Amino acid sequence: MQVQVLSARFDIPDANKIDVAKQHGAYSTLEKVFAMQPEEIIEVVKASGLRGRGGAGFPTGLKWSFLPKNIDKPVYLAVNSDESEPATFKDRYILVRDPHMLIEGIIICCYAIKSHAAYIYIRGEYTTQVKVLQAAIDEAYAAGYLGESVAGHDYKLDVTVHRGAGAYVCGEETALLESIEGRKGQPRSKPPFPAVEGLYGCPTIINNVQSIGSLPFILTNGPDAYKAYGTEKSPGTHLFGISGLVKKPGMYELPLGLPLLEVIEKVAGGVRDGRTLKGVIPGGSSTPVLTPEEAQTVTLDYESMAAHKTMFGSGGIVVLDNTVDMVKLVENLIYFYHHESCGQCTPCREGLGWMLKIVRKIIRGEGTTADIDLLTELCDNIEMKTVCVLSAACTMSTRSYLNKFRHEFEAYVAGGAPTQAAM
Amino acid sequence: MAEKVKLFVNGQEVEVEAGKNLIDAFGAVGIEIPHLCYHPALGADGNCRMCLVGIEDGRPPLVPACKTKVAEGMKVQLDAEKIKKIQRDIMELELINHPIDCPICDQAGECKLQDYYMRYDGKPSRMTVKPVLKAKKMDFGCDVVHDQERCVLCARCVRFTRLVTKTGELGIVNRTDYARVNIFPGRPLNNRYALNVVDLCPVGAMTSRDFRFKQRAWFLTKSPSICQGCSKGCNIFIDHNREKYKDDVIYRFRPRLNEKVNGYFMCDEGRMTYKQENDNRLIAPQVNGREAGFAEAIEAVRRAISGATKTAVLVSPNASLEQIFSIRQFAASINAALSGYSDGYIKAGDGDDFLIQDDKSANRAAFTLLNIDDSKAGFDAAINGADLLINFQNDLGRSLAEDQLASVLANAKLIAISSAATGCTAKSAVAVPVASYSEDSGSLINCDGRLQRYEIAVAKNQPLKSLIEVTNLIGGEIANNQEARAGLQAAVAVLKDIDLEQIPAEGIALTESEVAHVAA
Repeated sequence: MQVQVLSARFDIPDANKIDVAKQHGAYSTLEKVFAMQPEEIIEVVKASGLRGRGGAGFPTGLKWSFLPKNIDKPVYLAVNSDESEPATFKDRYILVRDPHMLIEGIIICCYAIKSHAAYIYIRGEYTTQVKVLQAAIDEAYAAGYLGESVAGHDYKLDVTVHRGAGAYVCGEETALLESIEGRKGQPRSKPPFPAVEGLYGCPTIINNVQSIGSLPFILTNGPDAYKAYGTEKSPGTHLFGISGLVKKPGMYELPLGLPLLEVIEKVAGGVRDGRTLKGVIPGGSSTPVLTPEEAQTVTLDYESMAAHKTMFGSGGIVVLDNTVDMVKLVENLIYFYHHESCGQCTPCREGLGWMLKIVRKIIRGEGTTADIDLLTELCDNIEMKTVCVLSAACTMSTRSYLNKFRHEFEAYVAGGAPTQAAM
Repeated sequence: MAEKVKLFVNGQEVEVEAGKNLIDAFGAVGIEIPHLCYHPALGADGNCRMCLVGIEDGRPPLVPACKTKVAEGMKVQLDAEKIKKIQRDIMELELINHPIDCPICDQAGECKLQDYYMRYDGKPSRMTVKPVLKAKKMDFGCDVVHDQERCVLCARCVRFTRLVTKTGELGIVNRTDYARVNIFPGRPLNNRYALNVVDLCPVGAMTSRDFRFKQRAWFLTKSPSICQGCSKGCNIFIDHNREKYKDDVIYRFRPRLNEKVNGYFMCDEGRMTYKQENDNRLIAPQVNGREAGFAEAIEAVRRAISGATKTAVLVSPNASLEQIFSIRQFAASINAALSGYSDGYIKAGDGDDFLIQDDKSANRAAFTLLNIDDSKAGFDAAINGADLLINFQNDLGRSLAEDQLASVLANAKLIAISSAATGCTAKSAVAVPVASYSEDSGSLINCDGRLQRYEIAVAKNQPLKSLIEVTNLIGGEIANNQEARAGLQAAVAVLKDIDLEQIPAEGIALTESEVAHVAA
């Protein structure tokens, strides 16, 4: 089931070094790219059907085409490498195992959108990753792939690494821009959208590491080669991080569209012996949980996930078995989103803390049925009333546990933790 | 007239001013959209989410009204059940961690949380868990006291220090419900407009040390007036109250919106000048250092005038246009030399490029209009050989050193017509108290040549006579403001076409264009 498109060089020793990477094809697309017009590249990316790999799945080529035409301001690329969604651990592999694929992708993207400056916004906790990435960028400058004349062409490009300071919300694209500008990482109201008014007030494209990392393959092999993988509407491959209670957790590159349960079974080894599947978080902690019954029919693509009222998200699959206490899981979930709320909008700032305290009250055995109902209502009251979707990430997922595993909350209310049998 | 657009609110067609956001445009026609963080002087921040409104057929269907401009044909929903629910929900969320200490909160009665709770929520609390505890009575400097628990994090105060004073002392630290407004360690508020954050704060989180716990807001009578702290003439509210068995006392000044003068703000020094209206007032007439009856004091003045060989009259640059005109008439009638000498009112270099002016007098521009000499040379000439000096309200001690004042008074007998007890009134042979500006009405011309009107705000238990009345009693011809205004209109060309009885709320710039406009 596994494929090697993005991860082709991941297992080659020292592929993070430019010499090794070049021996295995890094930067080989650039001649072809610079022979094309920027608009042609955008068309190729559109034709490939590549969708943003940060979680929202917005078509990458289409996003680029939102840049205003004939502008006298500089255009920026911001590469979102804040990878902070719990259960997501895909971009870090690219940063460490094949940073030159990312740099090559940045060159392709910047040339296509006529940008001469790219910022890589990297999660603050990624200390090893930032060292490896910076070393690779330094190598790329020394080798002439970045700087005044990219690969000998009349095209200038600078890449700057900007480290975050440990805030999940800075993965939200406008909070990310605020943070690069040196301000407190708080999402901006939209409109204006970043493509019109982004970094330093200039048109800005923000793409995920994996989206950018997919570009060299698409440009080298053509859109059809990319579309050979995956489904019609969700083409290509994805780096899936499978974690939780499976025998072989890890990062696996798979084409989109595979059946979820088959992947859990065949790729990740299935749940541990003697245990049964209780639920699956399909794409990072913010995506609504799937019951085993729902998981039966889900395939790993945007459309199937949406049809099952959840989201493809970041490809961070968490497998939950029968030992998992869903109420405590929800507490952990709300704890995270509460802690990471930027505190700007009233519903998120005040509401998530309230939700956390109610869940804890339930866990302490002091909760009532009214508390469960209040928790459910608060999800509705908070959701989509805020500048960004951080609160919705918390409420959409919390609601799914409340709806699908309400009996566990009720068991706490009835008296103490639910027994194994009750689960 | 401003351009208009037609749109629909709750299905009703409404015409509003174009180019404005929904809050301002609707507010101007009497339709309220609740909001906490938006303030017209500080722009839209969009953090409180209280102003979310529905846009029919809109994308997105739910928008913050503060960040949404009116557009022709727009269909805005304010009374849809989903919008009412949002308002109720936001209020609930604002209040869960709020201490609800209205009985001891200075903001009670003029608090947006109270108002909106009554108007948009009204539901009992569902909070059964411990609220977030934060710091209280924090000294933010400049006599601003902050209560973090009452704060709704609207960031108006933060934006004020960043956008208006550009001093940036305030910030919001921490995230989520740990977020709070704070100063940087050891760096308190340090600007001359700091107390405006108290007015800007929609709740009781920012309080003035000076006003705290003095009065309940609903007992205060809020009378419009003009600040006389400097020549800017900021528009203010005089908030005053007569407690049972006590006199009418002023508790605070607050800025009153006038886009043409001060916008929404005023300086802290000006704000504190209310104290001069309450304290150190000349209440009882004095003759030769002892308390005397009013009639006796007037008689003493008249006798002094008739007995003098040469009289000098000194007028204050704080006096109203009407008062100055009456005094000028009076001085001419007794052949007295008139001076407006008041160098001490000018603090060179004290002004800034916002509101504060060097000239701490309210009406010096009227001197120019009425050809009154305020030079030292003019004063010296007026006083030279004079055996009587009649001083109308001018605090001469501000302009002259002790020994200079003594040498002036060595030759001339001093008569003080004054609202304040100053060093000058103490040295006078006769002192006659008069009403101060909060108890009187009149016109002022500010540093930018704008003519403004203030009316009587405070009514004392024992009202003092106005300066014009006293001037009339000691021999002046003009008996009241109406006569003074008629005289002014006849005598001063630039005032000829202005209806001095009907000065518009924003005042009139004494430039030809605006005068002509008003007259037309």
